Amino acid sequence: MSHELSGRTAIAGLGITEMGKVYGRTATDFAVRAVALAAEDAGIGLTELDGLLINPGVGGDIGLPLQAALGVGELRLLSTVQGFGSSACAMVQYASLAISAGLAETVACVYADAPLRQGAGSGAAYTGAARQASALDGLPRAAGLDSAAAKYALAARRHMERYGTTSEQLGAVAVAARQWAAFNERAQMRDRKLTLEDHQASRVVADPLRLFDCCLVSNGGIAVIVTSAERARSLARPPVYVLGWGQGHPGHPMARGSGFGLVTGAATSGPAALAMAGLSLSDIGVREIYDCFTFTTLVSLEDYGFCGKGEGGAFAASGALAPGGSHPTNTGGGQLSSYYMWGMTPLSEGVIQARGDGGPRQVAGADAILVSGNGGVLDHHATLILGPHPHP
Amino acid sequence: MSVSPLTRDEHSAEFFDAAARGVLLLRWSTECGGYLPPAAVICPCAPLAPLEWREASGLGEVVTWTVIPVRGTDAVPPTVVAYVELAEGPWITVRVRGIDPAKLRAGHPVRIGFETPEGGGETIPIALPPHPG
Repeated sequence: MSHELSGRTAIAGLGITEMGKVYGRTATDFAVRAVALAAEDAGIGLTELDGLLINPGVGGDIGLPLQAALGVGELRLLSTVQGFGSSACAMVQYASLAISAGLAETVACVYADAPLRQGAGSGAAYTGAARQASALDGLPRAAGLDSAAAKYALAARRHMERYGTTSEQLGAVAVAARQWAAFNERAQMRDRKLTLEDHQASRVVADPLRLFDCCLVSNGGIAVIVTSAERARSLARPPVYVLGWGQGHPGHPMARGSGFGLVTGAATSGPAALAMAGLSLSDIGVREIYDCFTFTTLVSLEDYGFCGKGEGGAFAASGALAPGGSHPTNTGGGQLSSYYMWGMTPLSEGVIQARGDGGPRQVAGADAILVSGNGGVLDHHATLILGPHPHP
Repeated sequence: MSVSPLTRDEHSAEFFDAAARGVLLLRWSTECGGYLPPAAVICPCAPLAPLEWREASGLGEVVTWTVIPVRGTDAVPPTVVAYVELAEGPWITVRVRGIDPAKLRAGHPVRIGFETPEGGGETIPIALPPHPG
């Protein structure tokens, strides 16, 4: 039995800008273009938007002034949403709630970022000085913990120590993502083959994470248009129904008994989203999992229950995630191999699959798609269940 | 590796004064008697009760760690950073010195020491082998 709000709203438009090493444009430029593309995709004019939710990204480069940049007046809903990598799924949730409650009817949700500079490596993209509340919050950085990769390395190493997960198993996640990317014309790594040997030979960024355990960095923007299911049926594209949602923020303490690196918010956001949709795990045909690092995919799949706790490594190594595998996952190549647009990477591919627009990578019978956002260092999860039918 | 970027503030002054004397302080709840990480501002057991600074034993064990190579050179040893669970319960993030990273395991015992960055700045805790020498 699904929740009364299940299937009441839908994603009616998807806008993906030029992506990757695209220089000379600001995050606002990308955001404006993404919203315009999403509106065009839905077959509506920008003036038909009455809501705008904006995910400002790491640097806060886009925000409320986006309304003026878009030239849209008379909005009934306007706000930034910040859940780091869980923001994209969260924005669709808040938009759906607002629409269901009559606060707005047609809401654009957008993320854009432009961290890459011509002539600078992607490693230079996110190394700004950490903002901190107290000098004591600066202790980790002073100890040398100065990158997302190093923090996720601590999580991955803890999982390895507890469950015997290996670097080769993390490599299987990277290889599967790269295999999917070969079928995605938008994927930055579309033409770059990756073998497990390549993964094992790649340089260590922060042990146990190697270069090919790490996501890409991209300039670009992605937006979706969320509206009522009824209105979506009258628009240009087949509706992608929002069937279920959930969030999980475990708030692991930095103290004895902490689940850091072992359990993520997906353990609670997943069951909540499935219950709302009235579905069980076996109904899920496609998984679009936030994959800032290979380990994120692995531990999230465990917490959603697609394999047992501690078995994510063997699950990935079995080929389950790859094209032709038992559990198609990150079918566009994910952040590891397609493009890094925070939570918009898995969300955009979820919409593409639900519409049946995947072309050579389309998964047959994609009636229920799980989209997973992750933020912080496995601190914030938001989950959506999407599908082409309002009552699957 | 760059020097410590830390500059003390009102909240952290006592912690850094003790660190300079070679003493690790933790926050301590006057309500439940539990220890909390140095940056804690409340105890969840009693959010309105005051916290005090208490000396920690300085003993703990490694929860997890990462080894970060310095890019472009093999001459500089890698940075080893760990989460250490102190005997009192809280975890702290510390640089590991004097332990072969290949020998690290979850549960590896450590002793908290201190170092002051070469270019100056506040003294910070580090993890050392459990027995001096």
